Amino acid sequence: MLTRGTLIYIAQRLALIVFTLIAVSFLVFVTVHTLPGNAFESDRVHGRALQLLLHEYGLDQPVLVQYWNFLLNALHGNLGVSFQIRGLPITPLVMRELSVSAELGGTALLITIGLGTTFGVIAAMRQNSWVDYTLTSIAVVGYSVPSFVFAGLGVLIFSYFLPSVTNGVISYPAIWTGTYGTLVELSLPAIILGFYTSGQVTRITRAAMLEVLQQDYIRTARAKGLKTRVVTIRHALRNALIPVISILGPLVISIITGSVIIENIFGIPGLGKEFVESILAADYNVTVAVFTVYALLIGIANLIVDLLYTVVDPRIRY
Amino acid sequence: MTDPILDVRNLSTHFFTDDGEVKAVRGVSFHVQPGETVGIVGESGCGKSVTAMSVLGLVQRPGKVVNGEIMFKGRDLLKLNKEELRNIRGRDIAMIFQDPLSSMNPVLRVGYQIEEAMHAHNKIADAQIDARTIDLLKQVRVSDPERRVKDYPHQFSGGMRQRAMIAMGLSNKPDLLIADEPTTALDVTVQAQILELLRDLNEQTGAAIVLITHNLGVVAGLCKRVIVMYAGEIVEEGTVEQIFESPQHPYTWSLLRSVPRIDASRRARLLSIEGLPPDLIDLPAGCKFNPRCPFRIERCFSEAPLIEQVAPMQLAACWVTMEKAYAEMGAGDITDTSPGAASGVHPKGRQVLPEAEVTATVAESVGD
Amino acid sequence: MATIATPVFEQEYAGGTVARAQVGLWRDGFRRLRRNRLALAALVYLILLFLVAIVAIFWTPYNPATILPNTLTYLGPSAGHPLGTDDLGRDLLSRMMQGAQISLIVGLGTSLVVLTIGVVVGLIAGYFRGWVDTVISVFINIFYGIPGILVAIVLYLVLGRGLGNIMLAISATVWMDMARLVRGQAFSIREREFIEAARASGAKSGKILFGHILPNSLGPIIVQATFVIPIAILTEAFLSYLGLGIPSPLASWGSIASEGYAALPLEPYMMLWPAIALSVTLLAFNFLGDGLRDAFDPRQRR
Repeated sequence: MLTRGTLIYIAQRLALIVFTLIAVSFLVFVTVHTLPGNAFESDRVHGRALQLLLHEYGLDQPVLVQYWNFLLNALHGNLGVSFQIRGLPITPLVMRELSVSAELGGTALLITIGLGTTFGVIAAMRQNSWVDYTLTSIAVVGYSVPSFVFAGLGVLIFSYFLPSVTNGVISYPAIWTGTYGTLVELSLPAIILGFYTSGQVTRITRAAMLEVLQQDYIRTARAKGLKTRVVTIRHALRNALIPVISILGPLVISIITGSVIIENIFGIPGLGKEFVESILAADYNVTVAVFTVYALLIGIANLIVDLLYTVVDPRIRY
Repeated sequence: MTDPILDVRNLSTHFFTDDGEVKAVRGVSFHVQPGETVGIVGESGCGKSVTAMSVLGLVQRPGKVVNGEIMFKGRDLLKLNKEELRNIRGRDIAMIFQDPLSSMNPVLRVGYQIEEAMHAHNKIADAQIDARTIDLLKQVRVSDPERRVKDYPHQFSGGMRQRAMIAMGLSNKPDLLIADEPTTALDVTVQAQILELLRDLNEQTGAAIVLITHNLGVVAGLCKRVIVMYAGEIVEEGTVEQIFESPQHPYTWSLLRSVPRIDASRRARLLSIEGLPPDLIDLPAGCKFNPRCPFRIERCFSEAPLIEQVAPMQLAACWVTMEKAYAEMGAGDITDTSPGAASGVHPKGRQVLPEAEVTATVAESVGD
Repeated sequence: MATIATPVFEQEYAGGTVARAQVGLWRDGFRRLRRNRLALAALVYLILLFLVAIVAIFWTPYNPATILPNTLTYLGPSAGHPLGTDDLGRDLLSRMMQGAQISLIVGLGTSLVVLTIGVVVGLIAGYFRGWVDTVISVFINIFYGIPGILVAIVLYLVLGRGLGNIMLAISATVWMDMARLVRGQAFSIREREFIEAARASGAKSGKILFGHILPNSLGPIIVQATFVIPIAILTEAFLSYLGLGIPSPLASWGSIASEGYAALPLEPYMMLWPAIALSVTLLAFNFLGDGLRDAFDPRQRR
């Protein structure tokens, strides 16, 4: 499996990722710097004091020079310092928030795939029955109803009507209490996030299963006298999963998008929340750093998905 | 005569679609002796595949077997429950299909798919399965079987894939192998090889073979007995020699005549049977072939002929039969085979349209 | 009903004719759409919503932005205010009606922008191929690698808040699907013989693009455009919810929901209305899109 062709492919992809990161960070850097205002300007700081501050942080230099410095530092692992919180190094900040977002996103991803594929398979096996209609409708509701509706609903239920169940851990308005959420704290946002994207997975799984079940090799498997369960799982599902894997990349992106919203709703200190705060506060370096980290995550996720293809479908080799 | 291994009695399978009830197979009866090679011939849509699928219970919604008995080794397959039927599939009766590329699971290794059949049925001891898989591939003349076992279907050529399918079918030493158009998707030269293989396997293993095809040449190459189907019914049955040398049903006769001959004059027109098969939802009364039959008589419009013996071992469902057509209607030197041409019989209220009017009417109806 | 068999056979027997009538793709599609009750219900709802939005141009019970004097805040549904009032004493019904306008404008507007960009880019890439296609494809792939919402936020803030700019910002995150779809269509249709014929008779590229390729791909393009609408509405709602969207005092359903969330323990109604409105509207667009796709996608089987 790990052939020379595959290794070359991986190397090419990694190079592409690096190129994308540089392009993305450059574009965001320049774009963000066109926003009016800066992080330091306020009623108290202006005039000469402001100039000094700007100079200290290198904000009075041309944008391209600023970017060059940023890039050089970044290659050494130093993503600069925050302006909002003066001098706070960005790299450890982003790393910490990344772990939070990853935990949230990872859990949500598991829920999405687990829920989505299960519903999709069941709906396909019982096509056009009430089970099918119910599950498909649940899927549509999942990606139609905005997540803040569920968030509001969830908060309402848990903090208003059932405070005893959660021992008051989920309290209104903010849920987060520590850097690493406990299972209870994490579950509601993760479930909402996971449910939101599971709708797509359900639909694709169902469509893929239906198509696979029409295939001739399923007929052959039945003609061989294999048990129904074997035919479904060993023959049908394995082939149906191939199109599902193809949306894993966009799925990760959906989860990232969704997590930005969810983190802001629930006040979870992850990358998403940081992004919104930083851009509103003109804390450019942080904005660029977060954006770039996201781009890196997506690049790696896409690479993993493409490699996953070779495992599942023997017809694909690089 | 020994007991047949497969005895189909009065089988009827209908499809309940939104457009109506498609009566795909109606009252079909035939039998297969142990070790025999039987061919079922007919054009697309005549019901031959549906018949085969009905035997193994593979007919899916909206299709349903509505009548009949399928006796296999003393048991009626239609009365078995799902589990019992599953036990027979792939073990006592095996079936292989037309397109070997789509018939094999692309993500599983070929060897695995062959073994699967054996693992599922416990007829072959576990310890012997691996060796037998390689053996089977040898038997079906796949070269380098030890290596090929680990390959995926897309790494095989078309002919090899069909051989692998045959190996899959024979893996549990079934008493009966049903092959549904096994050579249709293959090149002509490969076709010949596959047929030869099937013939040899029939001799070696003693498994009966039912070969379904629309190609008369294929039948001639392999089968001892031939069954001809048309529009969901059996219209003729007999040994290969009888069918080819003295067909009694006008449909069979027309089919044989329509095969292009290499020794025919270059100017000779390609003969075909005028018209199309009937609508299976809305069937005409009487003999289903009457709209296209040159030899039809009055009775053909109102009464459907029963299948009767016309010669030792030969049965046909026709009021006229070719014997009479040769004797009384000049079938020997017939030139016009349009419906009713030889017998001069037409349904009431219809004029025979001369050429010019025919064209005009075509234009009119197309203008609808 | 036209038959394929020669007319000699029409009167042969009382049974039916052999071939079933050929029905055109569009007629067949509309017939199937009419049978899809869910899609029809969705369409009815959307038409009603559209009417409400149009009415709102001319009249709302109160001015949505006016903080009414002597009006209680956080009022539940009552005679004077059927949907209640918000935290500043503004009438919710009026604000919801304005929100309807905004959602529909953003939804349809974004769809149109995406349609334009996507179709143009896709046609160029798919028809001319070569390095043009490579460059465009790389461009598309870069956009695919960035989380849409981040792009939307950055672009929106850079362009400045406003209805038009939010449509542009959202378009930048979803145009790729349309471009890829059109590109694929252009690829396959390009290969068909009648294009060869057109080129042989001297038709210019533009004419071929718009005269032949585009009309033949209309089905999937329309379906895709329909699906862009709920995505746009949802994204706008999210942005407004986060305070990064439509500037106040304009009322978007998303911003009403955001204010409603803050007021949840005091007055759950304030979040209820936009929640219902958004959910039903988005569901309606999705069901309609599904219905259109089932009806007009020739690859679908029953």
